[in-house]
Amino acid sequence: MSEKLLEVKNLKTSFRIKDDYYAAVDDVSLSVNKNEVLAIVGESGCGKSALAFSIMGLHNRAKIEGNIMFKNQDIANISPAKLNKLRGNNMGMIFQDPLTALNPLMEIGDQIGEALLLHNKDLSKEKRKDKVIQLLTKVGIPRPEHVYEQFPHELSGGMRQRVVIATAIANEPELLIADEPTTALDVTIQSQILDLIKELKDDMDAGIIMITHDLGVVAEMADRVAVMYAGQIVEVSDVYTLFESPLHPYTRSLFNSVPNTAEAQSKLHVIQGIVPSLQKLPREGCRFSARIPWVEESAHEEHPELHEVSPGHFVRCTCYKHFNFPDSSKEEQQHGIS
Amino acid sequence: METNNANVNEDNTKIQKSPSGLSIIWRELVRDKLALVSLIFLIVITVFVYGVALILDQDEIVRVDLFSIHEPPGEEFILGTDYGGRDIFGQLIIGTRNSLSIGILVTLMTGVIGIVFGLVAGYFGGNIDNIMMRITDFFMILPFLMIVIVFVAIVPSYSVLTFSLIMTAFLWMGKARLIRSKALQEKELDYVQASKTLGSSNFKIMFTQVLPNISSLIIVTMTLNLANNIGLESGLSFLGFGFPESTPSLGTLLSYARNPQTLEYRWWIWVPASVLILLLMLAIRNVGEALKRATDARQRRG
Repeated sequence: MSEKLLEVKNLKTSFRIKDDYYAAVDDVSLSVNKNEVLAIVGESGCGKSALAFSIMGLHNRAKIEGNIMFKNQDIANISPAKLNKLRGNNMGMIFQDPLTALNPLMEIGDQIGEALLLHNKDLSKEKRKDKVIQLLTKVGIPRPEHVYEQFPHELSGGMRQRVVIATAIANEPELLIADEPTTALDVTIQSQILDLIKELKDDMDAGIIMITHDLGVVAEMADRVAVMYAGQIVEVSDVYTLFESPLHPYTRSLFNSVPNTAEAQSKLHVIQGIVPSLQKLPREGCRFSARIPWVEESAHEEHPELHEVSPGHFVRCTCYKHFNFPDSSKEEQQHGIS
Repeated sequence: METNNANVNEDNTKIQKSPSGLSIIWRELVRDKLALVSLIFLIVITVFVYGVALILDQDEIVRVDLFSIHEPPGEEFILGTDYGGRDIFGQLIIGTRNSLSIGILVTLMTGVIGIVFGLVAGYFGGNIDNIMMRITDFFMILPFLMIVIVFVAIVPSYSVLTFSLIMTAFLWMGKARLIRSKALQEKELDYVQASKTLGSSNFKIMFTQVLPNISSLIIVTMTLNLANNIGLESGLSFLGFGFPESTPSLGTLLSYARNPQTLEYRWWIWVPASVLILLLMLAIRNVGEALKRATDARQRRG
């Protein structure tokens, strides 16, 4: 086992809605090692991005409890100045939408140069420019000298995402958080960007947290996977185990919802309902129970916890032992899904 | 064929850069002849007034000369004299300079206060925003005119600077609110978050990232505000709450027209000042409108 880079312990991020705090990330513990990709998957609204923002300290008015240990230093309750020293230097973040993640009024060179300047004041202007052009070349941008002087609106989406990545890796961070880095891009660019992130990981020996809802990306990139539902991690495992024998009903439902070319399916599986909103989230019992109503109440634990079913493979709640997909025709009759 | 040509051009010549902000404004001005004429008029007036005012002696001009009261325009006095025998033309030059100075000073000072206040409130939000906006509200409910009158009565002698300060104290709120609302929108964008992940401090993000992105709005409102402030100063002076006659401004010249005799028979005292105020405000507005169009690609003509 290689060195632990980031360890999140019992992280709870709560937002205030009308005088009450509601946890969007509830009791999450995870760890990332060097040169490892941890993928976090889950539906929209299940707290993936809230988790990433908590780690980077980007939440403005949220209550954050628990520990975030980055290289044995707790960054959950650190002073802003100290955090600013780490951000950009030791930790980088790639954003979901390259259209908005770049300042529209700054030249590309200045945007990437800013990251360099903030953490290395001695770097001369010429050296900075050299370094930026080196970075642009590294992320595969043609004619970097020209792009250096361009504005974000003059670049295509894929190019912009490359610039965003170049900015994030400018100081060779040890931890890179990629928040759905390929969602806004089309498929051919997606694979290029993923290859690029992989390459960079090997180059810099960095730990990467990859947030995505695309299981194809997970299979391609991840070493380990954490499945999140309603603010909690419901299953953690290495990627092979998870794809071969997913256990938690939610994980299995997710896999079942992906079109499969090998078997002819007349209809795709649909997970009933939606992720409950923060205020309506059940705080007790199995949070997924409402979306698998055919599983008996007694199958769920009262206080679901992560159980280690095999080394490194954790599952929350006991309901996975009793879970079966309903007969599709029956399901349609019962719930009117078509 | 065309793509081929484009490729060849790309390799041979330097690729065309996209137009800079200034060249867009220039294109817009060239398209809009009225705005161009207005801009030239403004430049000429400003240079002329500030230049001539350097030569003119204000004390000489405001000295009462009982032998030349109410002289109509003629050889000695180009625009005649007022009831104190003072040269109207000289007063017009110095008055325009004073009015312009006040307008520019007030616009700049309200701009700076509004930008700092609005940016800080909008960017940080929450309680800071609440407190700052309540302070703004407090200033907004103060009766501007009444307080200016009291000030004028209390302060024994005021200059262009002190008068501008008084006006500034009551005119910055609108800008603060406008910029706050824009900053609230802007800070939610990803590039602000992205900049934070690079380790930029809040103040750096505020003034080097958010501010440039709302600068077009600021430039346009400040230009249009300049016209308002000149008008406001003239209005106050006309009512007698602005400058005394010893410090001429466009407003003091206008205020002579409160005398019915002057209004009816001595046009040379108040008509030039009125026309100048009208032209100045119209010209500034025209330029402002052109700037406004230049900042919005959908409205551009050029």
